[in-house]
Parts: sequence; structure tokens; C-alpha cells
Amino acid sequence: MDSDVTNYSVVGRIGEGAHGLVFKARHLPTGREVALKKILIKNLEDGIPVNVMREIKALQLLRCKYIIKLYDMFPRGMSLVLVLEYMCSGLWEMLHHSQQELTLPRVKAYAQMLLKGTRYMHAHYVMHRDLKPANLLINHEGILKIADLGLARLYWPDGGRPYSHQVATRWYRAPELLYGARYYTEKVDLWALGCIIAEMITKQPLFSGESDIEQLAIVLQHLGTPTEESWPGHKDLPDYHKITFPESSPTPWLELLPGVEPDAVHLVKSFIMYDDNKRISAKEALRHQWFQNRPLPASLEDMPKPTPNKSK
Amino acid sequence: MFSTSSQRKFWTFGDENELVCLREKHNLQFILKHGVHIDEYQRYNFFLTPDEERLLLKQYELHLKEFCKRFNPPMPKGVVGTAFHYFKRFYLYNSSMDYHPKEILATCVYLACKVEEFNVSIGQFVANIKGDREKASDIILNNELLLMQQLNYHLTIHNPFRPVEGFLIDIKTRCTLANPERLRGGIDEFLEKVFLTDACLLYAPSQIALAAVLHAASKEQENLDSYVTEMLFRDAGPDKLAILIEAVRKIRSMVKMVESPARERVRIIEKKLDRCRNQENNPDSEIYKRRMREALDEDDLPYTSSNNRMSLDTSGISQVSNS
Repeated sequence: MDSDVTNYSVVGRIGEGAHGLVFKARHLPTGREVALKKILIKNLEDGIPVNVMREIKALQLLRCKYIIKLYDMFPRGMSLVLVLEYMCSGLWEMLHHSQQELTLPRVKAYAQMLLKGTRYMHAHYVMHRDLKPANLLINHEGILKIADLGLARLYWPDGGRPYSHQVATRWYRAPELLYGARYYTEKVDLWALGCIIAEMITKQPLFSGESDIEQLAIVLQHLGTPTEESWPGHKDLPDYHKITFPESSPTPWLELLPGVEPDAVHLVKSFIMYDDNKRISAKEALRHQWFQNRPLPASLEDMPKPTPNKSK
Repeated sequence: MFSTSSQRKFWTFGDENELVCLREKHNLQFILKHGVHIDEYQRYNFFLTPDEERLLLKQYELHLKEFCKRFNPPMPKGVVGTAFHYFKRFYLYNSSMDYHPKEILATCVYLACKVEEFNVSIGQFVANIKGDREKASDIILNNELLLMQQLNYHLTIHNPFRPVEGFLIDIKTRCTLANPERLRGGIDEFLEKVFLTDACLLYAPSQIALAAVLHAASKEQENLDSYVTEMLFRDAGPDKLAILIEAVRKIRSMVKMVESPARERVRIIEKKLDRCRNQENNPDSEIYKRRMREALDEDDLPYTSSNNRMSLDTSGISQVSNS
């Protein structure tokens, strides 16, 4: 354990996380650029936050090109410093500041990277629970990686344990979570994937509610009032009886995604299903026709290479 | 997956001798650091011997078990198992004279609660501790980072509980044994004892689980040998079977040898420890209190570009402890 701060030269501050500052730094022995995420512990009531433990556990387990790497960790006074792979940009920045860069072949390539990262996570029984553009970072080579695993946790395929439903950022939150489900699966991530892929294609969030109730109203309005057939068991969810929405019939997907080619609509639709058992898995989605159609996914050489000065 | 885990790679040791050597090494290191003024022949009159440390830690493992058993709200088995792993790992690389086991014990259980997603607040946690709760919570939170570091941040623990469930399902589907559920009592009893041994530092969780199942079967006058040889290991070859049989035999004999340390012996060791422990890590000592005050007085330095190297340097605790 010879890791400590003297091995790093801090280049600048790149952000503020939930528990402290994030710095860009250079690892002096290797010259590698890294992000130092400093978690200040002395102000935290219960010590090291559970989210930090989850992130450490998940990142130690997952070693995948499309998931951010945790290189090292060291204590610094009353803080814990996580040494993470440095990523100079992210999908959120692309969607908000460089939309013109997001051509269809590139969208397909990002979608593939996202799906490969998710396939890997799910194969290791980790659910992320907060997939959204702001958590999908892009490095200088143009590779997209899943980050911010503070809500990620291991699940058991046989289920049986309740989880918190206060997860996932609202726009990407699966309907079972909006109804307060405590028993859910990794398939909440698949709903988020559908939302993100749709957003990359149209440059608009698919369902953008201003509140949790509005979010649910928008989803119901577009997909139509759930039935026992389209969503078995939805009436038993904890918050189902707390609020009723007017009956609605589904909006045609062509209206929801105007001008989008049918194969892309089909893929998005396969994720955005009430019944989580019917949602397409990341593994299956990678074999979807959309990726075989022209234009083909861009190769890595054709992906945008973000530069640090464009970073957040 | 245990096969690719840090548990297998870094925390599963070849034999008991390796464990003994590590413990002796850290006992000696402590004495060399803190006992320069004491004559070599006299040192064990003042410091704990490796055997005394072992006995003391065995006693604290019993305390750990009792603490978890009485914990309110009731604690899942996985939390207990993980806490035991942490405790044992910590004292492979540290002497109990450096860090008092009663403090590390509580910190191990607290960390295990978090890692195993058994969510209790520090307030709820220390409500289970007798005595000064505010002090207890300070000690736990102060030690948490130290513990994580000493575990080399290897937080994920593979316990034998899930493999046990796997074996039971497998036995139900492939075996003729009547009512396999009746094995549970014997299994639980065995696993409770196994954590009082070093088995989890030497064997895979599935080997420990199988030892528990076989033990429970024999208590029920049943024999699962043919299940092991003809089903589990049918295609594995005789070498692997021989390794497994030896592992199971060893684990069962370790469990059989579990005994509580003599109360009077432990009392004497505790007294000795009060005198020889590292006062820098004793929350009641002046030197410890001063160090904590200094750490709190130092404020978080804001980042300034002219002061690159220092911007992460937020408190004096690491420098003080290194000096």
C-alpha cells in the first residue's frame, strides 16, 4: 500500500460530487491522467456513505472497456480519495453542447458501447439503477463508459430482497419505480436504456416530467393505461392506489418519435415496456436489426474526440 | 464469483503455518517498535506473546458472535460472516497491542452492515453497545477508514451461506435423501462455529458449505458420500476429489477443536494489554485526544492553482501518525 497523494500532481478541479470535490490529476510514476474523487468523511453523520461502498464494490468487480475503471484508493486525512479513470466529456455534454456531432452512425456506436457495458454489468449481477446521459462519460478516444455506480448494487437472480425505490433520475426511471416498487430487477436499467437511446436519436428526452407524478402521467399517457395483460401485477405496487390517472389509449410510436426509422422505433419500443419481463435484454438488443442497417455504427476512428477544454 | 475474487487471490492462505507466521511477524514488529527500552529477555513480561494475542482474539471473536446475535434489529447471517472475515483479516496484519480488539470488533460489524446492505444508522448501531455511546460512535467512525485501508479495500466477502442454499437445492433435486430441510439445524450450528476457526482464511466458501452439509447429514445418521463422489465430483477426477475430502476433513476437525479460552487467562491478558497497548491509538489517552483535536481544527483547504500539491491535503492526521 504505497499509494498516496505524493504520487499525483493535481491539474485542476473538475467538479463537485455529492460527497466532495473531484480533481483532475496526473499519476506521476506513469504519467496517466486520472480523476481524484475526494470523499470528505468528517462531516458525514454515519461515516463513509453506503453509496461510496457500493461504488467501490461494484467497480472492483467490473472490469470492462465500457465501464469506468477504479485504479486505486487511499486515505487522506479525514478523507477517502478514489482514483478513477479520467474522462474528459460525457453524453450529457454531447446532447447539450455538440448535438451536431451526434450523427446517426455515432449514435449507433454509442448505443452499442452502452449496451455492451450494461450486458457486462448484468452478466455480473450488478444493476446500475441510475443510468442517464450525465452518468455516461466519454474519453479522449471517443469511448463511452458507464460511470457513477453509487447506486449500483448486486442482486440475486432469485430476488427476494426489497430495495429502495428512490433510485434513478426521474426521466429515466422505470414505471415500477415510479409506483414505489421495492422488489424490482436489473430490468429497471433496460427502461433507462430505451430512454437514453431515444434521446440520442431525437435529441429530446423521451419522457420529461417535472415531478414524479407528472413523470408517471406522461408515461401512462404515451403507453396507455396499463392492463393486467400489458403489465401483470401493477395493481399490487405500493403506490398504485395513491393516485389515479385518466384512462388513455397508447400514443402511436410514430407520434412519439416522429421521423425516426422503424427499426430504431422497434428497438426503443422493446425497452419501453410496462412488463419488465418483456423488456429486451442488453445482450439481445446488441443483435437488433438496427445495428445491421445502414448507416452502420461509426468506427472508433470516426467518433468525436472530446478535448479537456470542452469538459464540464 | 469466488474464483475471480480478491478473497481467493489475496485472503485465502495455503496453510495454518502461513497464518501463524504473519501473526508472529506483526507481534514482533510491534515489540521492536515500542520495546527498544526493554531487555530482550524481559519483553514478554511486558508485551503480549503471540499465543496470548491468539487467545485474546479468540475471546473477542466470541464477543463478536454474541454482539451480532443480540443485535437489534436482528442481523442477517451474511453481515455476521462478513464481520468475522474483516476481523480476522485485520489481525493478520496488525497486532492487538496496536489496535484494541474491542474497538476493531465494533468497526468490523459496522462496516459489514454497510457492505451487506443492512442499513442501520450509527445511532441505531451504538444503541446496541453498553456504556458511553457517543464515545463508541466516535471510535467506530474514526476507525472505519483505517479498517478499509487495512483490508486493502477488499470489501466483498464470499460467505458459505449461499453455497449452502445451492447444495440444499441440488440435494433436493438429485438425491434420494428424505427431507433435506432437516439438515438446517446442524448446518447453522456448524457455520456458527466455523467462524471461530481460521477455516475462512484457508478454504473456499463452497468447501466450508459442503463440510457443514456433510456434518449435518452425519448428525442425522445420514450419509451423503455417494452424492459427493458420484454426483458432485463424478467428472472431476480423483485428484480433485482427494483435495476436497481432505479440505472437508480438516474443516470439520477445526470446528471440533473450537473451545472457549479460560476466563482467568483472558483476564490477565487484558490487564497486560492495558499497560502495553499503543497509547497513540487509545481513545482515552492524552496523545490520542490531542491528535483528534488537531485533525478537527484543520480546515479543508480550498483548491488554488498555485498550490497544486497541497490542495488535497486537508488534515494533519496522517502526518501526525507517521511522525
